[in-house]
Amino acid sequence: MSEQQTATTSLPRPDQSPWQVRDSRKTRNLVLASVLPAIVSAAIALGMNIDATIAMLLIFVPLQLVSAGFVGYRIFGRKGIADASLVIFTIFFSALVGVLLFSVLFSVITEGAKAISPQFFLQNNVYITSTTSLEYGGVGHAVLGTFIIVGLTTLVTVPLGIALAVYLTETPSKARGAVRTLVQAMSGLPSVVAGLFVYAALISTGFTKYAGWLGSLALIPLMLPTITRVAEEALRLVPVELRNGALALGAPSYRAFFQVTLPAAKSGIITAVLLGIARIIGETAPLLLTVNYANNTVLNPLESMAALPTYIYQNLDSANDTSLQRAWGAALVVLIFVGIIFTAARLATRPKTAKQKVDKNV
Amino acid sequence: MSSVSESSKPVPAKRKLAAKPHLVQDKVFFGVARAAAVGAVGIVGLILAYLLFMSWETLAKQGFNFIFGSQWTAADPENMIFQIGPMLWGSLLIAFNGVILAVPMAIAAAYFIEFLATSRIAKIATTVVDLLAAIPSIVIGLWGVGVFTPVAAHWAELLNQNLGFLPLFKNEAGSFVGSPFIAGWIVAVMIVPIITSVTREIFSQLDRDVINAATALGASRSSTFMKVILPTSSGGIVGGVLLGLGRALGETVAIFFVLNLSFEINWVDVIEGRGGSIASMIVAFFGAATPEEVKALIAAGLVLFVITLLINWLAAVIVAKAQPWRK
Amino acid sequence: MSDLSNAANLSTIEAHLRSEDVNVWFGERHVLRDVSLTFPVNQVTALIGPSGCGKSTFLRTLNRMHELIPSAGFAGRILLDGEDIYEPGVDPTNVRLKIGMVFQKPNPFPTMSIKENVLSGLKLSGRRGYDATEIVETSLRRASIWNEVKDRLGDPATSLSGGQQQRLCIARSLAMNPEVILMDEPCSALDPGSTRRIEETIEELSETMTIVIVTHNMQQAQRVSHQTAFFLAEDGNPGGVVEFGKTEDVFNNPIDLRTNDYVNGHFG
Repeated sequence: MSEQQTATTSLPRPDQSPWQVRDSRKTRNLVLASVLPAIVSAAIALGMNIDATIAMLLIFVPLQLVSAGFVGYRIFGRKGIADASLVIFTIFFSALVGVLLFSVLFSVITEGAKAISPQFFLQNNVYITSTTSLEYGGVGHAVLGTFIIVGLTTLVTVPLGIALAVYLTETPSKARGAVRTLVQAMSGLPSVVAGLFVYAALISTGFTKYAGWLGSLALIPLMLPTITRVAEEALRLVPVELRNGALALGAPSYRAFFQVTLPAAKSGIITAVLLGIARIIGETAPLLLTVNYANNTVLNPLESMAALPTYIYQNLDSANDTSLQRAWGAALVVLIFVGIIFTAARLATRPKTAKQKVDKNV
Repeated sequence: MSSVSESSKPVPAKRKLAAKPHLVQDKVFFGVARAAAVGAVGIVGLILAYLLFMSWETLAKQGFNFIFGSQWTAADPENMIFQIGPMLWGSLLIAFNGVILAVPMAIAAAYFIEFLATSRIAKIATTVVDLLAAIPSIVIGLWGVGVFTPVAAHWAELLNQNLGFLPLFKNEAGSFVGSPFIAGWIVAVMIVPIITSVTREIFSQLDRDVINAATALGASRSSTFMKVILPTSSGGIVGGVLLGLGRALGETVAIFFVLNLSFEINWVDVIEGRGGSIASMIVAFFGAATPEEVKALIAAGLVLFVITLLINWLAAVIVAKAQPWRK
Repeated sequence: MSDLSNAANLSTIEAHLRSEDVNVWFGERHVLRDVSLTFPVNQVTALIGPSGCGKSTFLRTLNRMHELIPSAGFAGRILLDGEDIYEPGVDPTNVRLKIGMVFQKPNPFPTMSIKENVLSGLKLSGRRGYDATEIVETSLRRASIWNEVKDRLGDPATSLSGGQQQRLCIARSLAMNPEVILMDEPCSALDPGSTRRIEETIEELSETMTIVIVTHNMQQAQRVSHQTAFFLAEDGNPGGVVEFGKTEDVFNNPIDLRTNDYVNGHFG
């Protein structure tokens, strides 16, 4: 169309034909955009003996950008250059996240594996100094202590969190928004402050000495926001029709909740509990300030106890090769527990929620 | 046409109906829920009130110098000086450092998961981010001491060698270990998952029609990202960043192990091996503290709590504003 | 109201449920004004009208489901066997035991089996000492779904089709043996075959109980109901009843012009 019609703007029409693919040789483009920069920069770095970090930042990334931009230009024209840079930056930074996680996991697993043996799970830390051989001693007492401290917190916080979620979803109260904001603000409570609060209120006043139950107390405000948030979301997912269905049958609210809403939200509630446990199982600072640490096996929460995070702290603090190795071992044990909880939470959410089931058949 | 209700009857008085519980069990049920709400509000209030009560003496004695001064001496019982300036500034410096490092990673990861990756890869990436969130901070601290510190110190050295002319990267002390830079990285590792998950949620709730409309207008990936996705989700991202900032300020043990605490204020020399952190200071000092010192530490904790409370409250408001569908 | 002269024809029948000058508000919004209707024993009453005229809201006031909405306001009286169900001191759960409800969207409890769903009302209201087997069979038979599910009573309720789920919900209400059943567009989410079966069920049920049904479907109203009330809300005014009378009169012989327009499909 050569003549401007009155109905169109003065902007010239794009001259590019949409069906015109400028360069369709995919494989060549792929090699050009990804493999080539890697090989070239590796070669330069090795050949000229440049530091790996510098090579990565100053040679590989720019080279990658140029080649991807070039390929983008070949395929999409000018806008391909910006697109290619966006993709390269995204992948670079995303990969950085992956590398960091991989580094953490890899070092904990390889270093931790050196310390782990059956006796590492079964023995406690009595008579163990920072130079004692790894053949002796272990985290048995710390595992039990963590179970007891975290278990006590869970026992208190789960009902409290679910009751809060009920308040936020089932009551018509006007204060709900404010309560929700406050509970979420609580999730920003620095854990050390939670510990300090208990320490200042109950230990430094001489009311009691270091004890396991104080640790449980300090962990409550840290666990509560997680449980409340996830449980609230789970209850909210239960369709309002189910609640109304139960109430229309003449059910009192509490029965409608316990027999209809709660079962329908079961997997979400389980997830809430698991995520809550995962949130506090590795908390160290509050336990340091309230429980301190014990080397023998203590099962009485009225006394100072051992726990996995404080065990790591204790061994990291003494900064000796063997004790460092013990810290890695304990870190691996913590990660194994976190992994188990994590997998369980995944499994709990896997069965379709009540809502999806209903929708499917309507 | 006449109105439906043309009757001359006056409108009767309205009664407000409320589903009031009738049964005792229902009253108990709702009573427990209400008690939980009061309890939660009470916990926060109690912590705040008690910390305030305990720190009153210190705050009154030290005045504004408590926040701005940089001396901490409990040796002379006649003249104890507690000032947390370097620690407070250190906490902020490390948190900002962490946020600056974490934000590009988090936004990239969120963009990757929501817009670039195939659904299977996105699922794996989501798991990776969630997994990172689940790693306890003491484990990150251990990794920071055992693995990451040498690497990051090397990076810092490179920065110093090549960009040392910038005030930010000068290092007169000579040590690259124990710097706010390293602590910032450690914090970044911990807050990347928080910012990512908030950003991802915001991205996933974006109106796909708007994005498709932009694409239909011939916009490229990059211009869609810069002109549609980022502006519409910026509020939520800021909220997520604030959440991360709050978490970064409160981080304790991981920083405790990688940072060299110093009561000399370190303004911007991020790669120099000295810095401060209120949370780490509390852990470092409380064991051997005198009663007065404990009170001063509590006052420091209160300052930290108030700052994080404000930041989190702000973040919650911003995130809620950015996610109106949540209501 | 002057428009309700057809109602005179109904006055001879024994009133079972009656609304007197019912007014409803949502917050400050006045949505229903002066609704006075009579629901005689064992009759089916259809509530028709365009969307947003307040007929579903009115239905929900009849068993006090309306008050579950925060900011709900109410005035007037609703008499069940001469007793006002809004009298202070009346427990709404007891009202709902006598006046059952079936919703627009089938809502069987997904975590329960078919059998448990039928018995759910008894469990939820804390009833004891009943013959479960007998109640399950009778209720499912009355909802005409027994033959389809008798061999799979233990299956989850969600394994049923939409129409079956809705009949299960009717059975669930019937298990409580209510005096009145309220139905809020029970067939709007169903296919024509399922709709037909539910209409048959309604016909059979009307021999033993009073039924109030909200429907958008004119044919359905004519097929199943004995009397019809036409609701209308005009230009931001609260909704109200324009015409109320025997179904054949309302459809074939409407007094009000607007009723005529609506039942003949001129608007709504």
